[in-house]
Amino acid sequence: MEHNSLTQLLASFIFAAVVGFLMQRSRFCNTAALRDAMLFKNYRNTKALLALMIVNTVGFTAFMSIGGGHPIEFEVGFNQFIGLFLFGIGMVLAGACTVSTWVKSGEGNVGAIWALVWTFIGMFLFSLFWSAFHWPPAPATMSTHANLHTLQFGVANAQTLQKATGIPAIVFGLVQAAILGAMYYAIVRRERRRSQAPDPHRSGAGVRTPTAAAGMSRPSGLEPIPAGAAVEGPQISADSRPSAARPRTPSTPGRKGKAAAK
Amino acid sequence: MELLKKPLDPVIAMVIVGFLDIFLFLVVGAWTVGGGETMITGLIAHSVMGDKLFRIPFWVHVFKPTLYYWKMYISLGMGFGALVAAVLAKEFYWRIPRHLNEWLMITAGGFLMGVGIRLAFICNVSTFFAVTPQMNLGGYLAVSGIIPGAWVGSWIYKRVLES
Repeated sequence: MEHNSLTQLLASFIFAAVVGFLMQRSRFCNTAALRDAMLFKNYRNTKALLALMIVNTVGFTAFMSIGGGHPIEFEVGFNQFIGLFLFGIGMVLAGACTVSTWVKSGEGNVGAIWALVWTFIGMFLFSLFWSAFHWPPAPATMSTHANLHTLQFGVANAQTLQKATGIPAIVFGLVQAAILGAMYYAIVRRERRRSQAPDPHRSGAGVRTPTAAAGMSRPSGLEPIPAGAAVEGPQISADSRPSAARPRTPSTPGRKGKAAAK
Repeated sequence: MELLKKPLDPVIAMVIVGFLDIFLFLVVGAWTVGGGETMITGLIAHSVMGDKLFRIPFWVHVFKPTLYYWKMYISLGMGFGALVAAVLAKEFYWRIPRHLNEWLMITAGGFLMGVGIRLAFICNVSTFFAVTPQMNLGGYLAVSGIIPGAWVGSWIYKRVLES
């Protein structure tokens, strides 16, 4: 296992503290980016996810073109598909992904802390599985070559693409960023069309609420679901909704919560 | 101080995170999360089991417990940053799920996340904010897994909401 320098550890902590702060203040949730788009046709978090991906794609591939940065290298395999499929189910059921569980734990969400505990348990039990089968290959044992017998395809990223084609990685990065940008634009257009269409749930057609104008709009898809029903879902899921849709009263209020409820 | 309490537009917040992530990519590596939780698991297990833990090959070959692992500080830092933000904005209070089905869904969800992360060697943050922006083939496989996974999870979640 690599040992990092104190500078690296400190940089990681400061970076993450700023991320935690920004995520708490913006109510960004990775789970909601997928779940709200699928269930409620609300793309508030999806747009933020795409924006971050665009910035990172351009930045990472630019530095990878000149051999800079620390690209992640691991044996690509079918296990990424299965693992993230299970993860996708898990994050929606838990109402938070790994990041949101930390952020919500920081807000005092006991459900998020419980989700973290079970994430640790899942990881420990998987360590027993790995120890029995030694699959999927760990970074320390990876061959970097395709091995179809173990459903592994070797290592492939923008740098290997650059090496194979002679075209700088940034060119591929710009193509990917353009595709992500087109997705972002399609969402904005869809939202614009929806805000202009008459809405039976509103008193005046096309009227935008102040919260909607500030980009904090309540997902219209939430409206047909009774407010009580939404709160009945997992507590940490309810918190991941936009602030306008988020109940300010906890399901089991603490001292401050009780005061807020009054 | 009032500025720190104001809600932020998530797009603006995540663009700022994106630029910081590029800086982190140059210093140590792009923002990933699952490795930190695994290391915390290993350290907890080591404190409980002692050196018996090293009879399990995973904790020798893949994640040998150490305090000098940057991803662990990523996880702890996020919790710390969120705690500071919540306290400053007076949004910190204990929230406890009320119903048994909430506890069951959170338990199953947390467990599946733990297994999924270790099976894939990446989590959703690595997928969307590290490997896919690096155009890693594993990122595209992971995206093609997490979307149907989230759909199945949403279907179950919706059924629970409706019931």
